[in-house]
Order: sequence, then structure tokens, then C-alpha cells
Amino acid sequence: MSAAIEIKGLSKRFGHKVAVNDVTFTVGEGECYGLIGPNGAGKTTTFSMMCGFLFPTAGSIRVLGVDPTQPGALKGKVGVLPQDAVLPAAWPVGALLTYLARLSGLPEPEREAREALERVALPETWAVPAGAMSHGMAKRVAMAQALMGKPPVVFLDEPTAGLDPKIAAAVRQLIRELKGHSTVVVSSHNLQELEELCDSTAILDKGKLVKAGTMSEMTGQLAEFRVQIARGPVPLDEVKALSGCRTATLENKDTILVVHFDGQAVQPEDIITRTVGLLVQRQVLILSVSRGKRLEEKVLQLT
Amino acid sequence: MDDIREIKEIWRGEIGRALKGGRVIVLLILFLLFTALALTIVGSINHQLNSQVDQAVAAGQVDAAAAAAQAVEGRKKFLSTFFTDDDALLDWLSAMPLVLFVVFKLTMVFAPLFIALMSFDQISGEIGPKSIRYLVVRVKRSSILIGKFLAQATLASGLLVLCTVMMVAVAKVLNADFTAGSAVVVGLKLCVVLVVFALAYLGLSSLCSAVTRQSGVSLVLNVMHPEPARFLSAGMVHLGFALFFLGLAHLALRRRDL
Repeated sequence: MSAAIEIKGLSKRFGHKVAVNDVTFTVGEGECYGLIGPNGAGKTTTFSMMCGFLFPTAGSIRVLGVDPTQPGALKGKVGVLPQDAVLPAAWPVGALLTYLARLSGLPEPEREAREALERVALPETWAVPAGAMSHGMAKRVAMAQALMGKPPVVFLDEPTAGLDPKIAAAVRQLIRELKGHSTVVVSSHNLQELEELCDSTAILDKGKLVKAGTMSEMTGQLAEFRVQIARGPVPLDEVKALSGCRTATLENKDTILVVHFDGQAVQPEDIITRTVGLLVQRQVLILSVSRGKRLEEKVLQLT
Repeated sequence: MDDIREIKEIWRGEIGRALKGGRVIVLLILFLLFTALALTIVGSINHQLNSQVDQAVAAGQVDAAAAAAQAVEGRKKFLSTFFTDDDALLDWLSAMPLVLFVVFKLTMVFAPLFIALMSFDQISGEIGPKSIRYLVVRVKRSSILIGKFLAQATLASGLLVLCTVMMVAVAKVLNADFTAGSAVVVGLKLCVVLVVFALAYLGLSSLCSAVTRQSGVSLVLNVMHPEPARFLSAGMVHLGFALFFLGLAHLALRRRDL
């Protein structure tokens, strides 16, 4: 997979404050990539540098092979949903989207604007002034402008923040639809959402990159699974003796069996089936089986 | 070509936005009303003075030619005291109806304030709420700056030309010796002067707006005045100022975080 975005040694200072410190990661073409971290971790600053809003103090960024701060370098190639950018209040939504489509150099600006509004399920807001819309509607209109022209790279900063669950689910569905034909970078606090959507992720903390990798690596899906036990004594030694098993431990008052295995030597479905079979054979009652850790656990562990 | 198209789109968008938004329209109306009020006051004083001279001439108290010559001399003295010692310029200015000259001068005094109020937030008004981010991913920063500058210049020029036409028309009505030919020539010259004058302040306004984040700060900065203009050839200097300020604004915007 070739790289759509390459970030090397990226740093950003605001006076004495170091917002981003020597961050390096790569986003593959067609990937959905998550930027994760607590408040003040440098997610939005990194995001803003990728979009060309902020100039890096040090390091380099290449988006589709070009420096995003170069004038006009990414015209029509990226769609951006900035976090706190306010839509110009006086513009009717349709006119605003048509204007932005025209600025992007799209061949049929009005058609693009109408299609984008339909994608975010807001065609009825065509004549509504942007300043008269609710937060959720404004967010979806902002999302619509980012999707116009089907850009190869889409940056979404907190796309579902402040949205009700139904609308948030619709936005997540939109992001799912982008996967494969667009490279998507999503910055969010909603780890469950990122775990569900993203192929890869970078965890930032206090401006530094803590870890970057695929979601499977992050959550240990290829090396770990958990079995929630309802009743019965777990034959721990027998589990440890299973081929491919590295370690087996009991957590949470012996109600969770955590098994680490050699992901190179054994397929997850193979060892999970054998472990569950052994437990059932020993009359251990099981509530659920899950692969890896929750992303949230990993992030809490790292930050 | 792409740059020109971008600038044209920004210009069109900004003109539309300004005309839809209330502030520019209110300012345009206020400035027109101010010019009309100044014309009414100065015009009525001028009219009264002319009537008194006409009555004195009719009563045989004063010789008409002498009165006219005295009026021209008085005007020249006034102009040489306050404005210029250049004889050729004095002759040209003294031939201009007084009402036109005075109101035009008043317009020049208040035009910078009007321009500052009209354009102080052309860039900063988009940086504060970050709406400029929707533009910078699509067009060059230079296109945004120039497009917005040209939109403001179009609106300001339109208004100033309208004011000048109004002034010249009133002066023509009040002064029978102010011929139609002179009115057209003087009107054109005054229009050029006002537009060039306005461009310098618009450039300054662009600069203030590009270096600040809060639009209020850029409004305060706009009271700065390009003083050296008094000592140099006015038109070129103001055009120079316009380009200089616009260039600085471009430098500031090109390398700043948004």
C-alpha cells in the first residue's frame, strides 16, 4: 500500500509551548486512520498542519506527495471538516456549498452541492441561512462541504462531537462508505467509534507520538483474546499447554480468562476454538469471547 | 489563469455577501446621506452668498466684474492658505465651484473612516471564527486576499463615484458658470482622485485585517494614516501605498497559522 500521507519529525511550537513534538507516522492510501489522544495531546494541531492551516516549526508533511502549505497544492484533492470552524452565517446553505464547490474547481458546482447535501440527509436546508441552523445540522453541512467532489483524501476533526446518536450513526456510515476509495483521517475522542471505523491509528499524548500501528496491533487482536467466565473452575494449566498459547491468566476475580498467543504461529480462530472447546469439556460456563483489548483500555494504558 | 479564476470567484462571493449583509448597505446609505447633508448645508451657504452678491450688483452697489474677480481672489487666498502655493493648481481649483471643493474635501476627510468601517474585518473576520479554513483548502491565500480587496475596492469605488456625481450635479445646478464640459472633466478627475485615495486605505485595511485575529483590533489599527502622502505626488503615492500594504498583507497571510 503506497502512502497517502507521510509525516516525519513533525513539531509545532506556539511560543514556548510545544504542541507537537517530533511526530512521525504514515497513512496508507485508502486507509481510515484515527488520531487519538487526551485533550491537549496535539491531535488538532497535527490535523491542522496536515490540512495546511498551520505551518510546522520542524519536520515535514507530504499529502499525496505534496507539501500542504504550498499555495494551491491540494486544490480539489482534499476535503476537510475543521473542528471549530463556523460556517459564514449570512449565506444560504445551498449558495454556500455551490460557492465552495466552485472554488474547488468542480465542473458542476450546484449539482455537487445538492448531492453532498443529500448525502448528509439535509436537502431541505438548501435555502436556509447557515447561521440559522442547529449545531448538529451545521456539522452535517460542514461534513457535506468536505465530501463534495469525492476528494481522494478526507480529514475529519471530531466528526460526531455534539451529534445525537442517530445522526452520529449516520455520519459513521458516511465515513464507512468513504473507506476504500478515499484516504480518511479522523481525529476523535470517541474511541469506540475509532475502533469500529479505523484500519490504523496514532496515539498522541502531550504532543508526542506514543504508538502508531494497525488497529489489530493496537488492540492485540492477533495476539490476545478474552473469555468471560460465568461459572466453573478454569483449567489454567491445560489452557497454557495448548499449542500456540504464550500465557493464560485470570483477571477480575477469576471471571475473565486472558490468553496471549503467538499470532505468527497460530490462527486466532484456531486457538480460540480449542480454548473454548477445552473449557466446555471441563464444564466451565462461558458468557462471551472477545478478541484483543478494547482500544480504550490500550489508550488508557499508554497515556 | 487558475489564479484569476479564483480571484474572480472570491470577488463575486464577497460582493454578494456584502450586499446581502446589512453592514455595508447601512454604511453606504449613511455615507451617501452624509454627502447629501454636506451638499445641502454648503450649497445653501453658497447660494445665499451668491444671492447677496447678485442683489448688490442689481442695486448698483458693486460692479459685477469686480465682484467676480474679488470672489476668485478670495477663493485663491483661501486655497493658498490651506492647501497649495502652486499657481497653476490654484487657478484650476479656484475655477471649481466652492461647494464642490468643500464637500469633496469633507468626503476625503471621512472616506478613510468609511473604508475602515467597511473593510476592517475582511480577513480577520474569517480568521477568528476559522471560516477561512473552508477557503484555504480550496484556493491560494493570495487569491483570498486579492479577491476580498477587489470586492471592497469595487464597493468603495462605486459609492465614491456616486457621491462625486452627486456633488458635481449639485455644483452644476448652483453655479450657472460651471459648464457641462467642465463638470464632466472635473467629475472624472475627482472620481480618479477619490478611488486612488480609497485604494491606499483599503490596502492598509487589508494589512490590519491580515495581521490580527480579532476584527475589533483590526478596526483600531485602521486609524493609522499614511502621512508621507502629503509630501509626494499624491496619486502615485496612494497607489504605491495600496500595493505596499497589500503586499505586506500577502506576506503576513502567506506565512501565518490560520
